Amino acid sequence: MKIVVLVKEVPDSYGQRKLNLTTGLADRAASDPVLDEITARAVEAAVSHAESAEGVEVALLTMGPESAEATLRKALAMGADSAHLVTDEQLAGSDLSLTAEVLAAAIKKIGFDLVIAGDLSSDGAAGVLPAMVAEHLGVAHATSLESVTITEAEVTGDRPSYGGTVSLKAELPAVISVSERLPDPRFPGFKGIMSAKKKPLERYSLADLGIDAGADVPRSIMLSVSETPARTAGEKVVDEGEAGKQLAEYLIGKKLV
Amino acid sequence: MSAGDRPVKPGRRIGLGGTPVPRAAGEAEPKAEPEKSEPRRRGLGTPTPTPAEAKAETEQQGPPVEPVPAPTPAPAPATKQPAAQEATNYFGRSAKRWGLVAAVGVVGVVALAAAIVLGTQWFLGTSAGSDFLDRYPGQYSQPDAPDGYPWWLNWAHFFNAFLMALIIKTGIQIRGEARPQAYWTPKWNKKRKISLTIWLHQALDLLWVLNGVIFVVLLFATGYWTRVVPTSWEVFPNALSAGLQYASLDWPTNHDWAHYNSMQELAYFTTIFIAAPLAIATGVRMSGLWPADNQTLNRIFPTGLARAVHFPVMIYFVVFILVHIFLVFATGALRNLNLIYTGQDATNWTGFWLFAASLLVIIGGILATRALIVAPIASLFGRVGR
Repeated sequence: MKIVVLVKEVPDSYGQRKLNLTTGLADRAASDPVLDEITARAVEAAVSHAESAEGVEVALLTMGPESAEATLRKALAMGADSAHLVTDEQLAGSDLSLTAEVLAAAIKKIGFDLVIAGDLSSDGAAGVLPAMVAEHLGVAHATSLESVTITEAEVTGDRPSYGGTVSLKAELPAVISVSERLPDPRFPGFKGIMSAKKKPLERYSLADLGIDAGADVPRSIMLSVSETPARTAGEKVVDEGEAGKQLAEYLIGKKLV
Repeated sequence: MSAGDRPVKPGRRIGLGGTPVPRAAGEAEPKAEPEKSEPRRRGLGTPTPTPAEAKAETEQQGPPVEPVPAPTPAPAPATKQPAAQEATNYFGRSAKRWGLVAAVGVVGVVALAAAIVLGTQWFLGTSAGSDFLDRYPGQYSQPDAPDGYPWWLNWAHFFNAFLMALIIKTGIQIRGEARPQAYWTPKWNKKRKISLTIWLHQALDLLWVLNGVIFVVLLFATGYWTRVVPTSWEVFPNALSAGLQYASLDWPTNHDWAHYNSMQELAYFTTIFIAAPLAIATGVRMSGLWPADNQTLNRIFPTGLARAVHFPVMIYFVVFILVHIFLVFATGALRNLNLIYTGQDATNWTGFWLFAASLLVIIGGILATRALIVAPIASLFGRVGR
């Protein structure tokens, strides 16, 4: 059984993240690159299943810059078997549709019984990529699972829903996305880090996957990007007998009442 | 995918508000009308126009402007440098003012120290002073106290020093840690989650408490307690006497093999029987050992109080350790080191080398307090994750 986990290197949300205001692309130099936590949980789910079952192979897949190798190695240290990196200059600034197309092509190339992805990246925060990949692959998709049980033939899990929890089951092959409710990722030990250095890491370019990034198909484009305006100081009302009136005037002036 | 750190393919992406992305030298200026071969995904500011729209838009916008350079902080002109320097404030004062404050402080401290030394020397020279010294020589007689340093005391002292160093290091680390590298969840309580640093701090605490309990039990079982617990009210005037002698730089003679001077005795008593229990009580209050659901106990001993006391107790320990080590070296280092490391009243280098070795062990221990090394140990008692 082969599990492909979609992982992603993201700018560390712990500090301030920046967009390049000229190109609209993430300024990767502005913050530390880290493995997105939700994808680390996805790796944890795959690896802990691989530990408890026979013949399970865990492959990591990411699309990113050349520098994403370091992050892939860190994820490999958690216990995955191999890593796959799609990297191509033409992919800079790809939209969701191109990303999904590329990832699906790579998944097909790797081969899969189950694809596990995080439900929402901390940088793009689109939350639709797993569904798009499932569409490309033409397999079932269970979204935002907060618990996952994998067997030889199927995957089951719980998904929070309005006013309750929905239990889902999908026959393999399938794509699932997992939520923050999954167990914390493990802390790789010394042994894991050492063995990660020797694990296979394969690179793919767009040509390897047979995808034309410039194809004349609809793509989403960024129309404008601007810096978040600095927070401005609020208005202070000091009570000198007129505060009530001032407050009312303020609210009326802001069209809040 | 997004990547700001690599060149963007020219023509595919147009910068903000129609500002073209810098294109490679020698490449043609963009044409107003998009070529058929150009991808439709164009990027910022260009919503896939029809040729006619594109033309109208380009006319409105005028010719493409020069690319906006990435905003970099403009270096201040050289002439403005002094002003900028003077404006640099460190905690409300300029560097120059701080220098002045420091100089005044140093002079003040030296003057105060000199005044204390000369003052006590003068006082002890008077008849009242020498009478006081005669009456209270700095220690009261303790004929029943056992002398020497038994082996268990030597070992307990070393373990204590080792654990203390690591506990202080990890404690300070906890305070400054914005984001721990790893977390630990106990096997017996899946809901609890503490940082690996806190786990290490508390694990060391438990070992330290165990060592301390064994030490105190042995102190009382062997009668050595009388060396560190005052048994007479005379300890106070004698401690004052010892203090005056230290201050006058004419230090009290060292009889550590038999008994400590009263100031030492009080300091050791405070450390063992006041500071350590305080550190333990406040530490337990903040740890998982505390019965957090017991509202009465919580009200009697609020966390805020524990936090407020735990840190100053650490400061006390650090000051004690510094003064302790200073005095060990200033009052016959080789003999003192033999007392505490070999348990023998001898002046040779054995104690010193054992001290040096123990220092290496302590430094090694401090260097080992990193997540990669601690995680496998912590995972024996719970789950280590991120």
